[in-house]
Amino acid sequence: MALENQTVGTGRVGRGIVGSVLIGRLGWTLISFLTLIALWALVAALLQSRLFPGPLEVGAKFASEAASGELAYHVGITLARVAVAFFLAMVIGCAIGIALGVAKGADQFFDTWLIFFLNLPALVTIILCYVWFGLTEVAAILAVAINKIPNVAVTVREGARSLSRDLDEMATIYRFGTWKTLRHVTIPQLAPFFAAAARGGLALVWKIVLVVELLGRPNGVGHQLHIAFQLFDVPMILAYAIAFILVVQIIEIGVLQPLEARVNRWRR
Amino acid sequence: MTRAEPAIRVSIEQKVFPAIADRPEHVVLAGVELTIERGSFVVLTGPSGCGKSTMLNIVAGLDTEYEGAVVFGEDTAKLAFMFQTPRLLPWRTVEENVALVLDDDTPNPTEKVAAILLRVGLSEAANAYPERLSLGMQRRAALARAFVIEPDILLMDEPFVSLDDPSADSLRALLIELWNRRPTTVLFVTHDRIEAVMLATRLIRLGGRPAHIVQDTGVDLSPDERLDREKVLAWRMRLFENA
Ligand SMILES: Nc1ncnc2c1ncn2[C@@H]1O[C@H](COP(=O)(O)OP(=O)(O)O)[C@@H](O)[C@H]1O
Ligand SMILES: [Mg+2]
Repeated sequence: MALENQTVGTGRVGRGIVGSVLIGRLGWTLISFLTLIALWALVAALLQSRLFPGPLEVGAKFASEAASGELAYHVGITLARVAVAFFLAMVIGCAIGIALGVAKGADQFFDTWLIFFLNLPALVTIILCYVWFGLTEVAAILAVAINKIPNVAVTVREGARSLSRDLDEMATIYRFGTWKTLRHVTIPQLAPFFAAAARGGLALVWKIVLVVELLGRPNGVGHQLHIAFQLFDVPMILAYAIAFILVVQIIEIGVLQPLEARVNRWRR
Repeated sequence: MTRAEPAIRVSIEQKVFPAIADRPEHVVLAGVELTIERGSFVVLTGPSGCGKSTMLNIVAGLDTEYEGAVVFGEDTAKLAFMFQTPRLLPWRTVEENVALVLDDDTPNPTEKVAAILLRVGLSEAANAYPERLSLGMQRRAALARAFVIEPDILLMDEPFVSLDDPSADSLRALLIELWNRRPTTVLFVTHDRIEAVMLATRLIRLGGRPAHIVQDTGVDLSPDERLDREKVLAWRMRLFENA
Protein backbone atom coordinates (compact mmCIF):
# COMPACT_ATOMS: atom_id res chain seq x y z
CA MET A 1 0.00 0.00 0.00
CA ALA A 2 2.81 2.35 0.87
CA LEU A 3 3.65 3.06 -2.73
CA GLU A 4 0.14 3.35 -3.98
CA ASN A 5 -0.77 5.80 -1.25
CA GLN A 6 1.79 8.43 -1.76
CA THR A 7 0.66 11.95 -2.27
CA VAL A 8 2.45 15.14 -2.90
CA GLY A 9 2.03 18.29 -0.90
CA THR A 10 -0.07 20.22 -3.31
CA GLY A 11 -3.32 21.90 -2.39
CA ARG A 12 -6.02 19.35 -1.75
CA VAL A 13 -9.57 20.45 -2.31
CA GLY A 14 -12.33 18.21 -1.08
CA ARG A 15 -15.53 18.48 -3.07
CA GLY A 16 -18.05 18.95 -0.28
CA ILE A 17 -16.30 21.63 1.70
CA VAL A 18 -15.37 23.82 -1.25
CA GLY A 19 -18.60 25.84 -1.17
CA SER A 20 -18.62 26.95 2.44
CA VAL A 21 -14.88 27.54 2.60
CA LEU A 22 -15.01 29.68 -0.52
CA ILE A 23 -17.58 32.08 0.91
CA GLY A 24 -15.63 32.46 4.13
CA ARG A 25 -12.40 33.00 2.28
CA LEU A 26 -13.96 35.44 -0.16
CA GLY A 27 -15.28 37.54 2.73
CA TRP A 28 -11.90 37.74 4.37
CA THR A 29 -10.17 38.50 1.09
CA LEU A 30 -12.53 41.43 0.52
CA ILE A 31 -11.99 42.89 4.01
CA SER A 32 -8.25 42.50 3.77
CA PHE A 33 -8.22 44.05 0.30
CA LEU A 34 -10.31 47.07 1.29
CA THR A 35 -8.07 47.68 4.31
CA LEU A 36 -5.02 47.72 2.06
CA ILE A 37 -6.66 50.30 -0.26
CA ALA A 38 -7.67 52.47 2.70
CA LEU A 39 -4.16 52.38 4.11
CA TRP A 40 -2.76 53.27 0.71
CA ALA A 41 -5.15 56.22 0.39
CA LEU A 42 -4.23 57.44 3.88
CA VAL A 43 -0.49 57.34 3.28
CA ALA A 44 -0.91 59.07 -0.11
CA ALA A 45 -3.01 61.82 1.47
CA LEU A 46 -0.40 62.39 4.18
CA LEU A 47 2.59 62.43 1.79
CA GLN A 48 0.99 64.56 -0.91
CA SER A 49 3.78 63.55 -3.32
CA ARG A 50 3.71 63.26 -7.08
CA LEU A 51 5.75 60.08 -6.66
CA PHE A 52 3.22 58.40 -4.36
CA PRO A 53 -0.19 58.71 -6.03
CA GLY A 54 -3.33 57.53 -4.22
CA PRO A 55 -5.80 54.87 -5.37
CA LEU A 56 -8.03 57.40 -7.14
CA GLU A 57 -5.25 58.77 -9.32
CA VAL A 58 -4.02 55.29 -10.19
CA GLY A 59 -7.59 54.19 -10.86
CA ALA A 60 -8.05 57.07 -13.29
CA LYS A 61 -4.86 56.16 -15.10
CA PHE A 62 -5.97 52.53 -15.22
CA ALA A 63 -9.31 53.59 -16.71
CA SER A 64 -7.75 55.81 -19.39
CA GLU A 65 -5.19 53.17 -20.36
CA ALA A 66 -7.98 50.60 -20.52
CA ALA A 67 -10.20 52.90 -22.58
CA SER A 68 -7.46 53.63 -25.13
CA GLY A 69 -6.88 49.90 -25.60
CA GLU A 70 -3.23 50.28 -24.65
CA LEU A 71 -3.64 48.24 -21.49
CA ALA A 72 -5.32 45.30 -23.20
CA TYR A 73 -2.77 45.37 -26.01
CA HIS A 74 0.29 45.24 -23.80
CA VAL A 75 -1.18 42.80 -21.28
CA GLY A 76 -2.26 40.61 -24.18
CA ILE A 77 1.23 40.59 -25.69
CA THR A 78 2.78 39.73 -22.35
CA LEU A 79 0.20 37.00 -21.83
CA ALA A 80 1.01 35.48 -25.20
CA ARG A 81 4.73 35.44 -24.40
CA VAL A 82 4.04 33.87 -21.03
CA ALA A 83 1.86 31.21 -22.65
CA VAL A 84 4.38 30.23 -25.31
CA ALA A 85 7.39 30.24 -22.99
CA PHE A 86 5.47 28.37 -20.31
CA PHE A 87 4.25 25.73 -22.74
CA LEU A 88 7.73 25.21 -24.18
CA ALA A 89 9.32 25.01 -20.75
CA MET A 90 6.73 22.53 -19.49
CA VAL A 91 7.00 20.19 -22.47
CA ILE A 92 10.80 20.20 -22.60
CA GLY A 93 11.22 20.24 -18.81
CA CYS A 94 8.81 17.33 -18.30
CA ALA A 95 10.50 15.26 -20.99
CA ILE A 96 13.92 15.86 -19.45
CA GLY A 97 12.60 15.23 -15.94
CA ILE A 98 10.99 11.92 -16.87
CA ALA A 99 14.07 10.75 -18.75
CA LEU A 100 16.36 11.59 -15.84
CA GLY A 101 14.02 10.07 -13.27
CA VAL A 102 13.77 6.80 -15.13
CA ALA A 103 17.38 6.40 -16.34
CA LYS A 104 19.82 6.39 -13.43
CA GLY A 105 22.92 6.68 -15.59
CA ALA A 106 21.65 9.72 -17.46
CA ASP A 107 20.66 11.29 -14.17
CA GLN A 108 24.13 10.91 -12.73
CA PHE A 109 25.71 12.32 -15.86
CA PHE A 110 23.39 15.30 -16.32
CA ASP A 111 22.98 16.23 -12.67
CA THR A 112 25.90 18.67 -12.87
CA TRP A 113 24.41 20.33 -15.95
CA LEU A 114 21.11 20.73 -14.20
CA ILE A 115 22.74 22.35 -11.16
CA PHE A 116 24.60 24.72 -13.48
CA PHE A 117 21.42 25.85 -15.24
CA LEU A 118 19.44 26.00 -12.00
CA ASN A 119 21.93 28.46 -10.56
CA LEU A 120 22.48 30.52 -13.69
CA PRO A 121 20.99 33.95 -12.92
CA ALA A 122 17.97 34.75 -15.07
CA LEU A 123 19.51 38.04 -16.11
CA VAL A 124 22.58 36.29 -17.53
CA THR A 125 20.47 33.98 -19.69
CA ILE A 126 18.43 36.91 -20.95
CA ILE A 127 21.46 39.04 -21.82
CA LEU A 128 23.24 36.16 -23.53
CA CYS A 129 20.17 35.24 -25.56
CA TYR A 130 19.82 38.83 -26.77
CA VAL A 131 23.55 39.05 -27.52
CA TRP A 132 23.63 35.78 -29.42
CA PHE A 133 20.25 35.86 -31.19
CA GLY A 134 19.58 39.59 -31.41
CA LEU A 135 16.71 41.55 -29.90
CA THR A 136 14.11 39.19 -31.36
CA GLU A 137 10.94 37.51 -30.21
CA VAL A 138 12.60 34.10 -30.46
CA ALA A 139 15.47 35.19 -28.25
CA ALA A 140 13.04 36.62 -25.70
CA ILE A 141 10.94 33.48 -25.45
CA LEU A 142 13.98 31.23 -25.48
CA ALA A 143 15.48 33.17 -22.59
CA VAL A 144 12.34 32.74 -20.50
CA ALA A 145 11.99 29.05 -21.32
CA ILE A 146 15.64 28.29 -20.53
CA ASN A 147 15.21 29.89 -17.14
CA LYS A 148 12.26 27.74 -16.38
CA ILE A 149 13.19 24.34 -17.84
CA PRO A 150 15.60 23.25 -15.06
CA ASN A 151 12.99 23.89 -12.35
CA VAL A 152 10.38 21.85 -14.20
CA ALA A 153 12.86 19.06 -14.87
CA VAL A 154 13.91 18.82 -11.22
CA THR A 155 10.34 18.68 -9.96
CA VAL A 156 9.19 16.11 -12.51
CA ARG A 157 12.35 14.05 -12.01
CA GLU A 158 11.32 13.63 -8.38
CA GLY A 159 8.02 12.17 -9.54
CA ALA A 160 9.56 9.90 -12.14
CA ARG A 161 12.00 8.53 -9.55
CA SER A 162 9.17 7.49 -7.30
CA LEU A 163 7.00 5.77 -9.90
CA SER A 164 5.40 2.71 -8.36
CA ARG A 165 6.98 -0.56 -9.40
CA ASP A 166 3.96 -2.39 -8.02
CA LEU A 167 1.61 -0.70 -10.44
CA ASP A 168 4.05 -1.16 -13.27
CA GLU A 169 4.08 -4.92 -12.64
CA MET A 170 0.30 -4.91 -12.53
CA ALA A 171 0.22 -3.21 -15.93
CA THR A 172 2.68 -5.77 -17.30
CA ILE A 173 0.65 -8.74 -16.08
CA TYR A 174 -2.59 -7.41 -17.53
CA ARG A 175 -0.88 -6.49 -20.80
CA PHE A 176 -1.67 -2.80 -20.76
CA GLY A 177 0.85 -1.96 -23.47
CA THR A 178 2.72 1.31 -23.77
CA TRP A 179 -0.11 3.70 -24.45
CA LYS A 180 -2.53 2.37 -21.82
CA THR A 181 0.24 2.26 -19.22
CA LEU A 182 1.26 5.82 -19.97
CA ARG A 183 -2.28 7.12 -19.84
CA HIS A 184 -3.67 5.24 -16.84
CA VAL A 185 -0.62 4.36 -14.76
CA THR A 186 2.30 6.70 -15.39
CA ILE A 187 0.79 10.10 -16.10
CA PRO A 188 -1.66 10.03 -13.16
CA GLN A 189 1.27 9.33 -10.86
CA LEU A 190 3.15 12.27 -12.30
CA ALA A 191 0.16 14.63 -12.36
CA PRO A 192 0.82 16.15 -8.92
CA PHE A 193 4.39 16.82 -9.98
CA PHE A 194 3.25 18.40 -13.25
CA ALA A 195 0.88 20.58 -11.24
CA ALA A 196 3.61 21.61 -8.80
CA ALA A 197 5.96 22.37 -11.69
CA ALA A 198 3.27 24.37 -13.50
CA ARG A 199 2.38 26.39 -10.44
CA GLY A 200 5.93 27.21 -9.43
CA GLY A 201 6.78 27.72 -13.06
CA LEU A 202 4.06 30.19 -13.87
CA ALA A 203 5.03 32.43 -10.97
CA LEU A 204 8.59 32.47 -12.26
CA VAL A 205 7.73 32.95 -15.93
CA TRP A 206 5.54 35.98 -15.22
CA LYS A 207 8.41 37.77 -13.55
CA ILE A 208 11.08 36.87 -16.06
CA VAL A 209 8.92 37.86 -19.02
CA LEU A 210 8.70 41.40 -17.64
CA VAL A 211 12.48 41.66 -17.41
CA VAL A 212 12.87 40.28 -20.93
CA GLU A 213 10.41 42.87 -22.24
CA LEU A 214 12.08 45.65 -20.34
CA LEU A 215 15.47 44.81 -21.82
CA GLY A 216 14.62 44.17 -25.42
CA ARG A 217 11.02 44.26 -26.62
CA PRO A 218 9.04 47.19 -28.08
CA ASN A 219 5.78 46.17 -26.37
CA GLY A 220 4.31 44.28 -23.43
CA VAL A 221 3.84 45.20 -19.80
CA GLY A 222 7.58 45.12 -19.16
CA HIS A 223 8.17 47.64 -21.94
CA GLN A 224 5.43 49.93 -20.64
CA LEU A 225 6.97 49.81 -17.18
CA HIS A 226 10.29 50.77 -18.72
CA ILE A 227 8.76 53.84 -20.40
CA ALA A 228 6.95 54.81 -17.23
CA PHE A 229 10.19 54.51 -15.31
CA GLN A 230 11.97 56.88 -17.68
CA LEU A 231 9.15 59.44 -17.26
CA PHE A 232 8.85 58.80 -13.50
CA ASP A 233 5.16 58.14 -14.24
CA VAL A 234 4.29 56.33 -11.01
CA PRO A 235 0.50 56.11 -11.63
CA MET A 236 1.21 54.29 -14.87
CA ILE A 237 3.62 51.87 -13.15
CA LEU A 238 1.01 51.09 -10.53
CA ALA A 239 -1.83 50.83 -13.06
CA TYR A 240 0.09 48.19 -15.03
CA ALA A 241 1.18 46.42 -11.88
CA ILE A 242 -2.44 46.13 -10.78
CA ALA A 243 -3.60 44.93 -14.19
CA PHE A 244 -0.85 42.36 -14.06
CA ILE A 245 -1.80 41.10 -10.59
CA LEU A 246 -5.44 40.87 -11.65
CA VAL A 247 -4.66 38.75 -14.69
CA VAL A 248 -2.39 36.43 -12.72
CA GLN A 249 -5.05 35.94 -10.06
CA ILE A 250 -7.78 35.28 -12.61
CA ILE A 251 -5.65 32.56 -14.20
CA GLU A 252 -4.75 31.13 -10.79
CA ILE A 253 -8.34 30.95 -9.54
CA GLY A 254 -10.07 30.37 -12.83
CA VAL A 255 -7.74 27.83 -14.41
CA LEU A 256 -5.07 26.39 -12.15
CA GLN A 257 -7.09 25.74 -9.01
CA PRO A 258 -10.03 24.01 -10.72
CA LEU A 259 -7.55 21.95 -12.73
CA GLU A 260 -5.77 20.85 -9.58
CA ALA A 261 -9.03 20.01 -7.84
CA ARG A 262 -10.03 17.89 -10.80
CA VAL A 263 -6.74 16.04 -10.96
CA ASN A 264 -6.93 15.33 -7.22
CA ARG A 265 -10.57 14.31 -7.00
CA TRP A 266 -9.77 10.65 -6.32
CA ARG A 267 -7.85 11.37 -3.15
CA ARG A 268 -9.42 10.48 0.16
CA MET B 1 -2.65 -29.08 -28.04
CA THR B 2 -4.26 -31.92 -26.13
CA ARG B 3 -6.22 -31.67 -22.97
CA ALA B 4 -3.60 -33.71 -21.12
CA GLU B 5 -0.91 -31.13 -21.77
CA PRO B 6 0.06 -29.57 -18.41
CA ALA B 7 -0.87 -25.94 -17.90
CA ILE B 8 2.52 -24.89 -16.56
CA ARG B 9 5.91 -26.53 -16.45
CA VAL B 10 8.28 -24.79 -14.04
CA SER B 11 11.94 -25.63 -13.92
CA ILE B 12 14.10 -23.31 -11.88
CA GLU B 13 17.67 -24.52 -11.74
CA GLN B 14 18.77 -21.57 -9.71
CA LYS B 15 17.62 -18.13 -8.69
CA VAL B 16 20.31 -15.87 -7.28
CA PHE B 17 19.84 -12.40 -5.86
CA PRO B 18 23.04 -10.42 -6.35
CA ALA B 19 24.69 -8.69 -3.43
CA ILE B 20 23.16 -5.36 -2.50
CA ALA B 21 24.52 -2.97 0.11
CA ASP B 22 25.27 -4.99 3.25
CA ARG B 23 23.68 -8.21 1.96
CA PRO B 24 25.87 -10.77 0.23
CA GLU B 25 24.81 -12.59 -2.91
CA HIS B 26 22.41 -15.41 -2.04
CA VAL B 27 20.79 -18.35 -3.79
CA VAL B 28 17.08 -18.32 -3.01
CA LEU B 29 15.73 -21.18 -5.12
CA ALA B 30 17.51 -24.21 -6.51
CA GLY B 31 16.27 -27.32 -8.27
CA VAL B 32 12.58 -26.43 -8.27
CA GLU B 33 10.79 -28.73 -10.74
CA LEU B 34 7.03 -28.52 -10.92
CA THR B 35 4.42 -29.59 -13.44
CA ILE B 36 0.95 -28.20 -12.92
CA GLU B 37 -2.09 -29.89 -14.48
CA ARG B 38 -4.85 -27.89 -16.03
CA GLY B 39 -7.62 -26.86 -13.71
CA SER B 40 -5.72 -27.78 -10.56
CA PHE B 41 -5.60 -25.51 -7.55
CA VAL B 42 -2.01 -25.65 -6.39
CA VAL B 43 -1.21 -24.07 -3.04
CA LEU B 44 2.37 -23.19 -2.28
CA THR B 45 3.40 -22.88 1.37
CA GLY B 46 6.68 -22.50 3.18
CA PRO B 47 8.37 -20.38 5.82
CA SER B 48 8.36 -16.64 5.41
CA GLY B 49 11.25 -15.41 3.29
CA CYS B 50 11.94 -18.80 1.71
CA GLY B 51 11.22 -17.63 -1.83
CA LYS B 52 7.51 -18.17 -2.53
CA SER B 53 6.93 -14.69 -3.95
CA THR B 54 10.16 -14.94 -5.88
CA MET B 55 8.93 -18.15 -7.49
CA LEU B 56 5.54 -16.67 -8.31
CA ASN B 57 7.18 -13.63 -9.94
CA ILE B 58 9.29 -15.95 -12.04
CA VAL B 59 6.21 -17.91 -13.17
CA ALA B 60 4.44 -14.62 -13.92
CA GLY B 61 7.32 -13.48 -16.10
CA LEU B 62 7.91 -10.42 -13.91
CA ASP B 63 11.33 -11.76 -12.96
CA THR B 64 13.44 -13.04 -15.84
CA GLU B 65 16.80 -13.10 -14.07
CA TYR B 66 17.02 -16.80 -13.27
CA GLU B 67 18.40 -20.03 -14.67
CA GLY B 68 15.72 -22.35 -15.93
CA ALA B 69 12.47 -22.15 -17.86
CA VAL B 70 8.77 -21.65 -17.41
CA VAL B 71 6.61 -23.10 -20.16
CA PHE B 72 2.88 -22.72 -20.51
CA GLY B 73 0.58 -25.29 -22.13
CA GLU B 74 -0.58 -22.63 -24.54
CA ASP B 75 1.53 -19.88 -25.99
CA THR B 76 -1.31 -17.48 -25.53
CA ALA B 77 -2.11 -18.41 -21.93
CA LYS B 78 -3.92 -15.51 -20.33
CA LEU B 79 -2.45 -14.64 -16.96
CA ALA B 80 -4.00 -12.91 -13.99
CA PHE B 81 -2.13 -12.06 -10.81
CA MET B 82 -3.64 -11.14 -7.49
CA PHE B 83 -0.91 -9.51 -5.45
CA GLN B 84 -0.46 -9.23 -1.72
CA THR B 85 -1.66 -5.63 -1.92
CA PRO B 86 -4.65 -4.90 -4.19
CA ARG B 87 -2.59 -2.74 -6.58
CA LEU B 88 -5.63 -0.92 -7.90
CA LEU B 89 -5.14 2.39 -9.66
CA PRO B 90 -6.22 4.90 -7.00
CA TRP B 91 -7.16 7.50 -9.63
CA ARG B 92 -9.59 5.19 -11.43
CA THR B 93 -12.92 4.01 -10.06
CA VAL B 94 -13.51 0.36 -9.20
CA GLU B 95 -15.41 -0.08 -12.44
CA GLU B 96 -12.64 1.54 -14.49
CA ASN B 97 -9.99 -0.55 -12.74
CA VAL B 98 -11.78 -3.73 -13.75
CA ALA B 99 -12.62 -2.55 -17.26
CA LEU B 100 -9.02 -1.49 -17.97
CA VAL B 101 -7.67 -5.05 -17.95
CA LEU B 102 -10.03 -6.16 -20.70
CA ASP B 103 -8.62 -6.30 -24.20
CA ASP B 104 -9.79 -3.46 -26.41
CA ASP B 105 -11.67 -5.87 -28.68
CA THR B 106 -13.62 -7.57 -25.88
CA PRO B 107 -17.31 -7.72 -26.81
CA ASN B 108 -19.76 -6.09 -24.36
CA PRO B 109 -17.14 -4.89 -21.89
CA THR B 110 -19.65 -2.90 -19.84
CA GLU B 111 -21.90 -5.90 -19.25
CA LYS B 112 -18.92 -8.08 -18.40
CA VAL B 113 -17.65 -5.64 -15.81
CA ALA B 114 -21.11 -5.16 -14.31
CA ALA B 115 -21.61 -8.92 -14.07
CA ILE B 116 -18.35 -9.60 -12.28
CA LEU B 117 -18.86 -6.66 -9.91
CA LEU B 118 -22.28 -8.04 -9.05
CA ARG B 119 -20.73 -11.44 -8.42
CA VAL B 120 -18.16 -10.05 -5.96
CA GLY B 121 -20.72 -7.78 -4.32
CA LEU B 122 -19.32 -4.46 -5.48
CA SER B 123 -22.15 -3.17 -7.68
CA GLU B 124 -22.84 -0.35 -5.23
CA ALA B 125 -19.19 0.66 -5.12
CA ALA B 126 -18.66 0.57 -8.89
CA ASN B 127 -18.12 4.32 -9.09
CA ALA B 128 -16.09 4.68 -5.91
CA TYR B 129 -12.38 5.37 -5.88
CA PRO B 130 -10.42 2.47 -4.33
CA GLU B 131 -8.89 4.41 -1.45
CA ARG B 132 -12.34 5.20 -0.11
CA LEU B 133 -13.07 1.49 0.29
CA SER B 134 -12.06 -0.92 3.04
CA LEU B 135 -9.17 -3.28 2.37
CA GLY B 136 -11.65 -6.16 2.08
CA MET B 137 -13.56 -4.36 -0.65
CA GLN B 138 -10.36 -3.41 -2.46
CA ARG B 139 -9.41 -7.07 -2.43
CA ARG B 140 -12.80 -7.93 -3.90
CA ALA B 141 -12.15 -5.46 -6.68
CA ALA B 142 -8.74 -7.04 -7.29
CA LEU B 143 -10.42 -10.45 -7.43
CA ALA B 144 -12.98 -9.15 -9.91
CA ARG B 145 -10.18 -7.71 -12.00
CA ALA B 146 -8.38 -11.06 -11.99
CA PHE B 147 -11.47 -13.00 -13.05
CA VAL B 148 -12.94 -10.59 -15.58
CA ILE B 149 -10.36 -11.52 -18.19
CA GLU B 150 -11.29 -15.20 -17.78
CA PRO B 151 -7.66 -16.18 -17.23
CA ASP B 152 -6.14 -19.52 -18.10
CA ILE B 153 -3.76 -19.16 -15.20
CA LEU B 154 -4.35 -17.30 -11.97
CA LEU B 155 -1.43 -16.52 -9.70
CA MET B 156 -2.17 -15.37 -6.17
CA ASP B 157 0.38 -14.18 -3.61
CA GLU B 158 -1.09 -14.22 -0.10
CA PRO B 159 -4.11 -12.34 -1.38
CA PHE B 160 -6.07 -12.53 1.87
CA VAL B 161 -3.50 -11.52 4.49
CA SER B 162 -4.18 -8.75 6.99
CA LEU B 163 -7.95 -9.15 6.72
CA ASP B 164 -10.16 -9.90 9.70
CA ASP B 165 -11.43 -13.50 9.81
CA PRO B 166 -14.96 -12.87 8.47
CA SER B 167 -13.68 -10.84 5.52
CA ALA B 168 -11.03 -13.41 4.71
CA ASP B 169 -13.59 -16.22 4.99
CA SER B 170 -16.06 -14.55 2.69
CA LEU B 171 -13.34 -13.76 0.15
CA ARG B 172 -12.20 -17.39 0.21
CA ALA B 173 -15.78 -18.54 -0.30
CA LEU B 174 -16.03 -16.13 -3.20
CA LEU B 175 -12.83 -17.42 -4.72
CA ILE B 176 -14.08 -21.01 -4.46
CA GLU B 177 -17.37 -20.00 -6.08
CA LEU B 178 -15.63 -18.21 -8.94
CA TRP B 179 -13.22 -21.08 -9.40
CA ASN B 180 -16.03 -23.68 -9.48
CA ARG B 181 -17.94 -21.61 -11.98
CA ARG B 182 -14.97 -21.36 -14.25
CA PRO B 183 -12.16 -23.78 -13.43
CA THR B 184 -8.81 -22.09 -13.87
CA THR B 185 -5.33 -23.27 -13.13
CA VAL B 186 -4.40 -21.57 -9.87
CA LEU B 187 -1.06 -21.18 -8.18
CA PHE B 188 -1.77 -19.78 -4.75
CA VAL B 189 0.84 -18.74 -2.16
CA THR B 190 -0.05 -18.59 1.52
CA HIS B 191 1.49 -19.17 4.91
CA ASP B 192 -1.92 -19.85 6.48
CA ARG B 193 -1.98 -23.65 6.77
CA ILE B 194 -5.71 -23.91 7.26
CA GLU B 195 -6.38 -21.75 4.23
CA ALA B 196 -3.94 -23.91 2.28
CA VAL B 197 -5.83 -27.14 2.94
CA MET B 198 -9.21 -25.49 2.43
CA LEU B 199 -8.38 -24.34 -1.07
CA ALA B 200 -5.85 -26.78 -2.49
CA THR B 201 -6.33 -29.74 -4.75
CA ARG B 202 -2.58 -30.08 -4.49
CA LEU B 203 -0.38 -28.86 -1.69
CA ILE B 204 3.27 -28.03 -2.18
CA ARG B 205 5.68 -27.01 0.53
CA LEU B 206 8.92 -25.20 -0.12
CA GLY B 207 11.76 -25.46 2.37
CA GLY B 208 15.48 -25.66 2.84
CA ARG B 209 18.20 -23.26 1.89
CA PRO B 210 18.20 -22.66 -1.01
CA ALA B 211 14.52 -23.53 -1.15
CA HIS B 212 13.21 -26.50 -3.09
CA ILE B 213 10.05 -28.61 -2.98
CA VAL B 214 10.05 -30.65 0.26
CA GLN B 215 6.47 -31.93 0.11
CA ASP B 216 3.92 -32.46 -2.65
CA THR B 217 0.52 -34.01 -1.83
CA GLY B 218 -2.96 -34.12 -3.32
CA VAL B 219 -5.81 -32.93 -1.13
CA ASP B 220 -8.82 -35.23 -1.51
CA LEU B 221 -11.36 -33.36 0.58
CA SER B 222 -14.85 -32.81 -0.82
CA PRO B 223 -16.15 -29.26 -1.27
CA ASP B 224 -18.32 -29.60 1.85
CA GLU B 225 -15.50 -30.96 3.96
CA ARG B 226 -13.34 -28.01 2.99
CA LEU B 227 -15.75 -25.59 4.58
CA ASP B 228 -15.66 -27.57 7.85
CA ARG B 229 -12.80 -26.30 10.01
CA GLU B 230 -12.64 -29.54 12.04
CA LYS B 231 -12.30 -31.70 8.94
CA VAL B 232 -9.61 -29.42 7.55
CA LEU B 233 -7.67 -29.56 10.82
CA ALA B 234 -8.01 -33.34 10.99
CA TRP B 235 -6.68 -33.66 7.44
CA ARG B 236 -3.70 -31.54 8.36
CA MET B 237 -2.97 -33.70 11.42
CA ARG B 238 -2.99 -36.81 9.27
CA LEU B 239 -0.56 -35.16 6.88
CA PHE B 240 1.87 -34.55 9.71
CA GLU B 241 1.60 -38.12 10.98
CA ASN B 242 2.37 -39.48 7.53
CA ALA B 243 5.26 -37.15 6.93
N1 LIG C 1 14.82 -7.84 -4.99
C1 LIG C 1 15.46 -8.59 -4.08
N2 LIG C 1 16.79 -8.42 -3.90
C2 LIG C 1 17.46 -9.18 -3.00
N3 LIG C 1 16.90 -10.12 -2.24
C3 LIG C 1 15.58 -10.33 -2.36
C4 LIG C 1 14.79 -9.57 -3.30
N4 LIG C 1 13.50 -9.99 -3.21
C5 LIG C 1 13.50 -10.95 -2.27
N5 LIG C 1 14.73 -11.17 -1.77
C6 LIG C 1 15.10 -12.16 -0.77
O1 LIG C 1 14.76 -13.43 -1.25
C7 LIG C 1 14.23 -14.23 -0.23
C8 LIG C 1 12.85 -14.74 -0.62
O2 LIG C 1 11.94 -13.68 -0.64
P1 LIG C 1 10.40 -13.89 -0.98
O3 LIG C 1 10.29 -14.64 -2.24
O4 LIG C 1 9.74 -12.58 -0.93
O5 LIG C 1 9.93 -14.79 0.25
P2 LIG C 1 8.44 -15.27 0.64
O6 LIG C 1 7.50 -14.73 -0.36
O7 LIG C 1 8.53 -16.75 0.65
O8 LIG C 1 8.19 -14.75 2.01
C9 LIG C 1 14.22 -13.40 1.02
O9 LIG C 1 15.36 -13.72 1.79
C10 LIG C 1 14.30 -12.00 0.52
O10 LIG C 1 14.96 -11.18 1.43
MG1 LIG D 1 5.94 -13.27 -0.12
